[in-house]
Amino acid sequence: MDMGPSLAVRLNAVALYAISALLLVAFYWQLAYDELPCPLCLLQRVAFTALAVGPVLTIRYGPKPLHYGLVIVAALLGASVAGRQVLLHVMPGDAGFGSAFWGYHFYTWAFIAFAVAILAAGVMLMFNGQFAGQDMADEAAPAPSRFETGAVWLVIALTLLNAFSAFAECGFSACPGNPVHYELFR
Amino acid sequence: MEFFIAFFNFALAMWLAWRRRSPLALYVFFAGMIYAAAIFLRHAVNPLPLSF
Repeated sequence: MDMGPSLAVRLNAVALYAISALLLVAFYWQLAYDELPCPLCLLQRVAFTALAVGPVLTIRYGPKPLHYGLVIVAALLGASVAGRQVLLHVMPGDAGFGSAFWGYHFYTWAFIAFAVAILAAGVMLMFNGQFAGQDMADEAAPAPSRFETGAVWLVIALTLLNAFSAFAECGFSACPGNPVHYELFR
Repeated sequence: MEFFIAFFNFALAMWLAWRRRSPLALYVFFAGMIYAAAIFLRHAVNPLPLSF
């Protein structure tokens, strides 16, 4: 069994929708429960947006091992940040930072998500059939469908939304360790 | 401001990738990774409210 380029591109679009869903859940928690993300939490969101660059390149240029490499590099950074935050709260009796979601804190879920991203990129790299047409000129890559185009613009819009949210939260100075209000609106 | 720049950087990388500027998108991506690693090192050594 092998995988063609069109299925690989479709799966990359699904990955973009998954990243968008993660960013939306984090945003919902921030707005609905007024839980402002800490610097390490914001950095995990940054790593999720970095994770999206590889799939966007795949949708535009077709599947290439380089694009999966970008996913692994971004996921390693995100896992490092999330792992660091897990270790900060690993002591018995520590309540952790923020509220829990289905029994785990968001940084624990983020660590799991980054591990899954590395696993997914590794599994995708095993299917050689998707790279068969990569010698063709970049301009010859097939035009993306509405499903794929929608995934790209959704994740770009959410990244920009996060940029302005972080700006509102931190203002012009460095972000406080435990933010409780939006610095820009004080 | 530091996180605004980081988010904006990766939004720019995605937009450049979409506009078929692949080499430039890669440069912006790796610049963003170095920047994010620098922010991580800065905040990873914040004073820690340890429980012991």
